[in-house]
Amino acid sequence: MSSVENELELMGKLLDVAALRHRVIAGNLSNVNTPNYRRYEVKFEEMFNDAMKDGEIARAKDVQPRVIQDEDSPVREDGNNVTLEREVGDLMKNSLYFETLTHLLTKKISGIRNAISGRA
Amino acid sequence: MDNNELFRHFQISASGLHAERTRMQVIAKNIANAQVTRMADGSGPYRRKEVVFAHVMGRALGLEGRADVPGGVRVEGVVEADDEGPLVYRPGHPDADENGNVRMPNVDVSGQMVDLLMASRAYEANLNSIRAFQEMMRQTLGIGRQ
Repeated sequence: MSSVENELELMGKLLDVAALRHRVIAGNLSNVNTPNYRRYEVKFEEMFNDAMKDGEIARAKDVQPRVIQDEDSPVREDGNNVTLEREVGDLMKNSLYFETLTHLLTKKISGIRNAISGRA
Repeated sequence: MDNNELFRHFQISASGLHAERTRMQVIAKNIANAQVTRMADGSGPYRRKEVVFAHVMGRALGLEGRADVPGGVRVEGVVEADDEGPLVYRPGHPDADENGNVRMPNVDVSGQMVDLLMASRAYEANLNSIRAFQEMMRQTLGIGRQ
């Protein structure tokens, strides 16, 4: 597979992870008042960065995001550990990240398009 | 559209909106009845109502690929709180006992107001999540556009 294809696939994967993370945050937000609910989070970046460090894109592509339940954050009186501020902050961060990725992908595609058509 | 995995995001946030709105309705009912000492059926004072929330996993929403992901919230039911309200000395009140005390509803209005604020903030947060997702979808559709 060519490096261009690899890169596009990789970015698609990152977009998928951002969309999954959005869903997990939405689930946490909708359960902000549910007793005994423990927040969920997506683990991906650490594993992905480790794989990328070796410079092996093929291996980085195989890294799967994991949804885990957070038992470490302080729990409120009702057994819930969702903090509104934290989730909204994560939500904003995630949407900005998503926006960055879409911009990058758009630039990449228009670069390829320029290379194909031979226009500058 | 309904079976599309992508648009389930909206469903999660919508379940949160619904749950918080139910809570606000129940709080409104509690505040409206904070001084009611006799129910329509002749039984004692009004009793505070509480909403019970339960969280739903993705499987219940039909998210086959991602059954392990939380899928939103469900209103399990509305229950009555069974603690006793305060006794207030009000001789001459039709519901007063032989000592002139009236059993008031177990509604603490200031506590209800705090809950109302929390519910409305949580509602806003769910709304924000829908907006953010809308924006993300718009950007996705813009990928590759010149």
